[in-house]
Amino acid sequence: MISIERLSKAFDTARGTSHLALSDISLDVAGGEFVSILGPSGCGKSTLLYIVGGFVPPSSGAVRVQGAAVTGPGPDRGPVFQEFALFPWKTVLGNVMYGLLEQGAPKKIAEDRARALIEMVHLKGYENFYPKELSGGMKQRVAIARTLAYGPSILLMDEPFGALDAHTRTGMQHELLEIWERDRKTVLFVTHSVEEAVFLSDRVVVLTRSPGRIKEISRIDLPRPRRRAELLVDRRYQDYVVAIEKLMDDPAEVRA
Amino acid sequence: MTRLTQIPGLPPLVAAAGLLAAWELAARVFDISGLPPAHAALRELPVILTDKESLLNILDSIRRMVVGFAFALVFAIPVGLMMGRSRLTAAFFNPLLMIIYPVPKAALMPIIMLWLGVGDASKTLVIFLGVSLPVIYHAYQGARAVEEKMLWSAAAMGMDARARLTRIVFPAALPEIMVGVRTGLVLALITMVTSEMIARKQGVGDILFNALAMAQYETVYATIVIIGLLGFVIDVGFERLRAHLVAWAEPAHEIAAVGST
Amino acid sequence: MTFTRRASEIAIGILPIALVIALWHAIAASGIAPAVLLPPPGAVFARLIEQAGSRQFLDNAAVTLYRLFAGFSIAVVVGVTLGVAATGSKAVEGIVKPLVRVLAPLPKVALYPAMILMLGFDDASKIALVVADAVFPILLATYQGTSAVDNKLVWSARAAGCTPRRALFTVVLMAALPSVLTGCRIGLIISCIVVFLAEMITSTDGLGYLLVRAGRNFETVDMFVPLISISILGLTLNAAFNALRKWLLRGFAEES
Ligand SMILES: Nc1ncnc2c1ncn2[C@@H]1O[C@H](COP(=O)(O)OP(=O)(O)O)[C@@H](O)[C@H]1O
Ligand SMILES: [Mg+2]
Repeated sequence: MISIERLSKAFDTARGTSHLALSDISLDVAGGEFVSILGPSGCGKSTLLYIVGGFVPPSSGAVRVQGAAVTGPGPDRGPVFQEFALFPWKTVLGNVMYGLLEQGAPKKIAEDRARALIEMVHLKGYENFYPKELSGGMKQRVAIARTLAYGPSILLMDEPFGALDAHTRTGMQHELLEIWERDRKTVLFVTHSVEEAVFLSDRVVVLTRSPGRIKEISRIDLPRPRRRAELLVDRRYQDYVVAIEKLMDDPAEVRA
Repeated sequence: MTRLTQIPGLPPLVAAAGLLAAWELAARVFDISGLPPAHAALRELPVILTDKESLLNILDSIRRMVVGFAFALVFAIPVGLMMGRSRLTAAFFNPLLMIIYPVPKAALMPIIMLWLGVGDASKTLVIFLGVSLPVIYHAYQGARAVEEKMLWSAAAMGMDARARLTRIVFPAALPEIMVGVRTGLVLALITMVTSEMIARKQGVGDILFNALAMAQYETVYATIVIIGLLGFVIDVGFERLRAHLVAWAEPAHEIAAVGST
Repeated sequence: MTFTRRASEIAIGILPIALVIALWHAIAASGIAPAVLLPPPGAVFARLIEQAGSRQFLDNAAVTLYRLFAGFSIAVVVGVTLGVAATGSKAVEGIVKPLVRVLAPLPKVALYPAMILMLGFDDASKIALVVADAVFPILLATYQGTSAVDNKLVWSARAAGCTPRRALFTVVLMAALPSVLTGCRIGLIISCIVVFLAEMITSTDGLGYLLVRAGRNFETVDMFVPLISISILGLTLNAAFNALRKWLLRGFAEES
């Protein structure tokens, strides 16, 4: 589905030098797979996601989605950001309808579909609220509904629950899995929480400290549907978490 | 190309040259009677700047501007700071300032001239009024934003109210004050030119309209260039000073600097 | 803020205005200043009310308003378009930024004689002066506001199928609306002031002309009337603009 080929990204710095953010990343993600990208802050996780989204061009290498090279954003890849990035001048309904209208859907159909999505993310009754009137968790639900609205087959989620409190966060994780189990979108999920990555994913990709390279890819063989309360006492889950934690803690890595 | 635009001062120079070129071209192509070509106007520059009377006129204008501006700072900064630190003072002055704000200060010229005559006093007073308002406003905003905790610690260290105002509030509000001072500088120049255009007795504004009346169009345009240069030099000079004084603060937001005539 | 506090603050605020008027009245009544120099406030306000019903006065006010709004509208269109374009295109930015750097500190009123020479003594030169004065704060506010817009807002729109150019006006400009409107409010007050000054410098009609004419005839009372009118006009426009701004920005987080 997604194939990332020998991708590198360097940024020009203010001092005129060049800063390597990502180095030689190759990764294939199958259709319907849930893959998390894990790594210390600044290792290039967001950058990788932005390149797959087509928002930022790579310095070398390429991304293909179903065989076609990515040259820019497209409705097949829907982003969800940590900062929600909702349109403040639009209501909840307006935000969720946005993509459908951009896709040329008739207003009536767009509204019906948007209302259904809003109900699905448990925000019925908040259609006419502005984003500023919602809590962080509610905002992120709106953002997810806004992205799901135009039917992307791939979700690109950049620490989507990073700004939420722990309780809201686990709730949102379950909701996301429910949605995912239902229509099996391909998900590329950036996080720096090992537990979150293990709980959600089929595979976890661990990146090294800057510049980000792939350090290891772990397959998470845990049965689905998963419930957090059950997994917490599951030995296999604990083993995965500990193993990946250790990887991240590698003293050879804690240099710069 | 990107490297070239990073040389400070080069893009504005190129822009100025481009403007002159566009002016020259427009004058030649459209042949408007009221638009002499740039080179003809520029040729007048040395003539004006070496003419004793014109030079004295321009220097007189600048002197009034400096005096009015200086008095305004001395008056406006303390008033603004006090308003920022005392709700009562703010409540006292705010509505009055709000009413005065949309009145064009140069428009007071005819009335002030009735009282003080057409001499220096009227024009200086008008400049004083024009500069005071934005400086008060920004000093007020700056003082209001000073962190309460800083003042508590100062009080705990035994500073009295007056020392707190001069030693804590003033420096903390300085970046914002500088925004007001910059706006004030722009306004001082504008008010100076405008008041002279309205009073028509002496000064740069008078030279402009005299030349206009006598159909000396090159002189009109040359004078405009002189005023433009003056504005630019003041602006750049001030930016240098500001960068030096409040190097620790964010750069001034330019909107405010151009704001409010 | 409690109501009583608010009320007492208003009372304190009215005090200096009342004091100024009382002082003015006292000086006028005491005879220190002859009425030709300083007419009593009662006479001025009576005249203001009388004039407010006079056809000739209203015609002049209408002329002023026409020039003000014509100039302001052009300034908004030009300033917003250039500001957005400078954010959207490096080439436009490269041209606009240095030009603004050179032209913004120039006292626009100095250009007035040139505008008279090219556009004549009528409306056109005054409108041109208003445009020249009002356009810079609007342009700068728009440019700064739009260039500070979070990329992720644009990316969210682009992924939904919005073209880059469309995103510039439907997303970037909308997200920068608070800043744009701040620039417009400054531009509006400037327009109000400049149109009056232009009419004072050369004109045969408008509020500014009324002031100059009264001055020429030593009708002091009539000199105060246009001044007070322009102050009231400025306050009214400011209040109206603030109401509009509040409505337009109802979705945006509070900011002063
Ligand atoms: N637009 C940019 N310009 C310059 N450097 C950038 C830019 N975006 C990211 N970087 C740099 O690239 C590296 C990776 O950033 P990012 O992808 O945001 O990391 P992460 O999401 O893993 O925390 C960091 O060192 C960051 O400073
Ligand atoms: Mg990140």
